[in-house]
Amino acid sequence: MPQSLRLLSCLLSLFCWQSAAAESLYRDESDWLKTMAFAAHQTDYSGTFVYQDGVGGHVEVSRITHVSDANGEHERLEGLNGARREIISSNNQVWLFLGDRKVKIERRHGERSFPALLPEQISSLKENYTIQQAEEDRVAGFHVHAVVFQPRDNLRYTHKMWAHSESGLLLKAVVLDERARIIEQYAFTHLTLGSNIDRTWIAKGIAAPTVPKRNEVTPTAKSGVQSLSADWKVDALPNGFKKIMEVTRPMRDRAQPVTHLVFSDGLAGISVFIEDVAGREGMNPGLSSQGALQVYGRISADKLITVVGEVPARTVIQVAESVRYAGQ
Amino acid sequence: MKQEISVLMDGELFEDEAEALLNKLKKDPQTQQEWLTYHLIGDALRQPEHVGRDISATFHARLQDEPTVFVPRRQTTQRVRHFALSAAASVMALALVAWLSMQAGVEPGPQLAAAPQANALRPASLSSTSGVSDYVMAHQEFSPSTDVHGAASYIHSVSGR
Repeated sequence: MPQSLRLLSCLLSLFCWQSAAAESLYRDESDWLKTMAFAAHQTDYSGTFVYQDGVGGHVEVSRITHVSDANGEHERLEGLNGARREIISSNNQVWLFLGDRKVKIERRHGERSFPALLPEQISSLKENYTIQQAEEDRVAGFHVHAVVFQPRDNLRYTHKMWAHSESGLLLKAVVLDERARIIEQYAFTHLTLGSNIDRTWIAKGIAAPTVPKRNEVTPTAKSGVQSLSADWKVDALPNGFKKIMEVTRPMRDRAQPVTHLVFSDGLAGISVFIEDVAGREGMNPGLSSQGALQVYGRISADKLITVVGEVPARTVIQVAESVRYAGQ
Repeated sequence: MKQEISVLMDGELFEDEAEALLNKLKKDPQTQQEWLTYHLIGDALRQPEHVGRDISATFHARLQDEPTVFVPRRQTTQRVRHFALSAAASVMALALVAWLSMQAGVEPGPQLAAAPQANALRPASLSSTSGVSDYVMAHQEFSPSTDVHGAASYIHSVSGR
């Protein structure tokens, strides 16, 4: 680990003049992100990847399958160690399997515009990160190009991504903090590309009976996501984060819908959830994290405010502490 | 002199006067006798049934008969003080280390100054925190990060910790 860290920091410092000399396949470095997003949705692949939570040192091996066909997109992620943990998503539906239980998480809301990364997000990306093409390498036997997204402040993480040179599929990703410590990383160890992929799980997963959950919400289009007047303001949002969505949504085990705001700087997202604290007393306010994902909750008057994002702890705290009601 | 002794016994002499008189008491047997007499008078006034005897002579005799026992002095008070001091030193050292690591560990940006101390604590892991994964799933529906990472971003919800 220290060796790879040293190597990484060494590489990071070298990028400046390396990238100047590097022959870029793409005219604009931010094209990489568009290509990766496109490949993530359009490529059929199946493989095994290793995930490491850099903070806890916890390692997880998972199998991932993605199929895009006439019926839409189907994804499956299964943990290979320990008790059965599996997620199957089929277009707007997501199921979580824990042991023998199958829980329908919720319907994905709204029609996701695809490609999902909008041009304005790409332009804000360049304001917030220095994007540099790095070395070429091999991951899981595939030739890859590395790209580094270096933030311009310490309120977001550095992302280094290795994309398959042909398809653009993301095969390896590392998230680093401002001191170049690894926050989380994952890499494929085995990958199969193309149409010759087992698809029987798609029908099987959907057909399996769902364990009814308390107060399970299967929102219809009408009651699902509603736009909302801008009643809530976030005063201390880091520069470059723009609101991309504001909705009220039903969530599991809640009597009242939850206000959900989403902000994006082009690469990282920050979600702000606002709900009545009544009935949510079991929630423990404070900070929790997994890898690059931080969750911070606090209680303000009769509201529970929860902030989730792929940003450092100081950022989710700063955002959560600055949420205020600006409505009537 | 008798007047002075009486005032001394009432605790009404100034410190320097009292010191001078006590020095005199130690040296002059006559004055000592007067001191004892006045105490006897005081005792008589307070507890009339137990007076009438000069106990100083018998007390002195009995003290002479007491065996002299040599035992090591108990060190409790000293030990407590020693412990308290070393504990205080440890706390100081810890505080110094904590302060140093805070100086070195987290860069003191202006945003951090506004952030509460929760930042310094080790965050709980997500999957041990019930209810949090709902937020994570909802967040990942819309986060730009999900677009790039695809199904791999579900690892945060599925991770077996």
